[in-house]
Amino acid sequence: MSAVEARPRNRVLPVVRLHLANPWTTITFPWIVMLTILALTVLVWMLILANIPDPTDRMNAREGFGYSGSSGFIFVYMIVVAVQSINTMFPFAQGYGVTRRNFALGTGLYFVLLSAFYSVGLTVLSIIEDATGGWGVGGSLFSVGYFGDTPAQRLFVFFAILVLFFFSGSAIAAIYVRWKAFGITTFFIALGFVIVGLGALLTLVEGWDEVFSWFATTGLVGSFAWSLVVSALAAVGGYAVLRRVTPKN
Amino acid sequence: MSAVVEVEGLTRRFGSLAAVNDATFRVEQNQIYGLLGRNGAGKTTLMQLLTGQEFATAGSIRVFGENPVENAPVLQNTCFIKESQKYPEDFQPRHVFTSAAWFFPHWDADFAARLATEFRVPLTRKMKKLSRGQVSAVGVIVGLASRAPLTFFDEPYLGLDAVARQLFYDRLLEDFSEHPRSIILSTHLIDEVSNLLEHVLVIDEGRIIIDAPADDLRGSVTNVVGAASAVDAFIGTREVLHRDGIGGLASVTIGALSPAEQAAARTAGLELSPVSLQQLIIRRTSENTQTTENEMEKSA
Repeated sequence: MSAVEARPRNRVLPVVRLHLANPWTTITFPWIVMLTILALTVLVWMLILANIPDPTDRMNAREGFGYSGSSGFIFVYMIVVAVQSINTMFPFAQGYGVTRRNFALGTGLYFVLLSAFYSVGLTVLSIIEDATGGWGVGGSLFSVGYFGDTPAQRLFVFFAILVLFFFSGSAIAAIYVRWKAFGITTFFIALGFVIVGLGALLTLVEGWDEVFSWFATTGLVGSFAWSLVVSALAAVGGYAVLRRVTPKN
Repeated sequence: MSAVVEVEGLTRRFGSLAAVNDATFRVEQNQIYGLLGRNGAGKTTLMQLLTGQEFATAGSIRVFGENPVENAPVLQNTCFIKESQKYPEDFQPRHVFTSAAWFFPHWDADFAARLATEFRVPLTRKMKKLSRGQVSAVGVIVGLASRAPLTFFDEPYLGLDAVARQLFYDRLLEDFSEHPRSIILSTHLIDEVSNLLEHVLVIDEGRIIIDAPADDLRGSVTNVVGAASAVDAFIGTREVLHRDGIGGLASVTIGALSPAEQAAARTAGLELSPVSLQQLIIRRTSENTQTTENEMEKSA
């Protein structure tokens, strides 16, 4: 007979590999889109500048190039990656005999690795952007102020945003696979109440100034450091939800 | 013989519905089991319980001597192929076969490649672009090539044509004789697999109503056909499992007959015919629910 294997094998790393079995969706495609966005944006900037004869107007236009948000594509895309990695990969891995615990550990590791990979890539692009004077036209896709002032700050901010998006996206996906549409609806209604409630409370006690000054004193990097706490809570919460899930059709 | 699965008093409730109700049985090592029953009888829930995917409300499950829930050493020796298995959005069959090797200690990549050719599975097309039958074939290949000591096939062949199904049965038997393992096959196509099965478990409304070696079952009932009066005289007070009649003719299903009784029946001008496993199970599972055999066959 096929001998029953009692030897414990590492089952966490295979889960990471499983997520990367087809690297097209999570590695290749996003970079193709990102670089296409970059090329098109730079092209548009060049077209705009070419059509503005007046030097002063041209200066003003260049100023506007400093705040392109299209690099945000990566972050939104990674929410989708996070949702899919739970919604379809979890039932699939269960058929392979992977425990929920090993699936959660492997998936968490995969999210952290992917965040590191993309934050390094985005930071490298931001360094090139700085070095080329904003792709020669003074544009900013990756060195925008809200990502930080130095490459090191940007590396951290990119990483924190990605980690936050991965873990909150996957926690919401875990709610979906466990309680389906009902769970998602309930969750967002509850979240809506919490946000509106907090807003009302802050208005009532006139606490908004304190909130703003907290962000001001904590700073960009400090605020994103706190987001890691939120990410950790989402990771733990997501696992708690997943622990009792039975894959359904 | 040793058991790979031991289940005692197992119950799984969903609200007021007991999908599995007080089930007690064993699965012996290196045998092919048929888990048979109607739609919604509890087959899938039972298999999910045995693979730690579903959680028991009451009772105990031992797979390789241990509770399977979140038990990696136990689960790495199981493989569960579902009819409705979801595949990751962007996967192609080659990704499925490559990744299977990372999870099943006994995975045979050459065997999987051979099967893929035989089942004509395109390796580099997206899973969601495959036909229903091709998707089922991918599941069947994983189930066979994983060589898991405990393999579950839950209605594995939705959309597979007769040729592909026969190929599955042939390869299953061949590989089973070279690499014996415990296999639990759940299916509607009872007659097709009846020669494959060594042991039959029938579940109906969550209860295990038949748990017997397939050979015993096949000999356990007989069809008696003849003039209604002669049939009635012959069966006397025997328990009748099923009765059909047209005009003065009657066809009655009763329990096993001894050689002497068989001779007596023939002398009385009655015809005796064996009852297929499928017929037998239809008789047993429609007793309580007044379901016609047509319905069962339609769902098959």
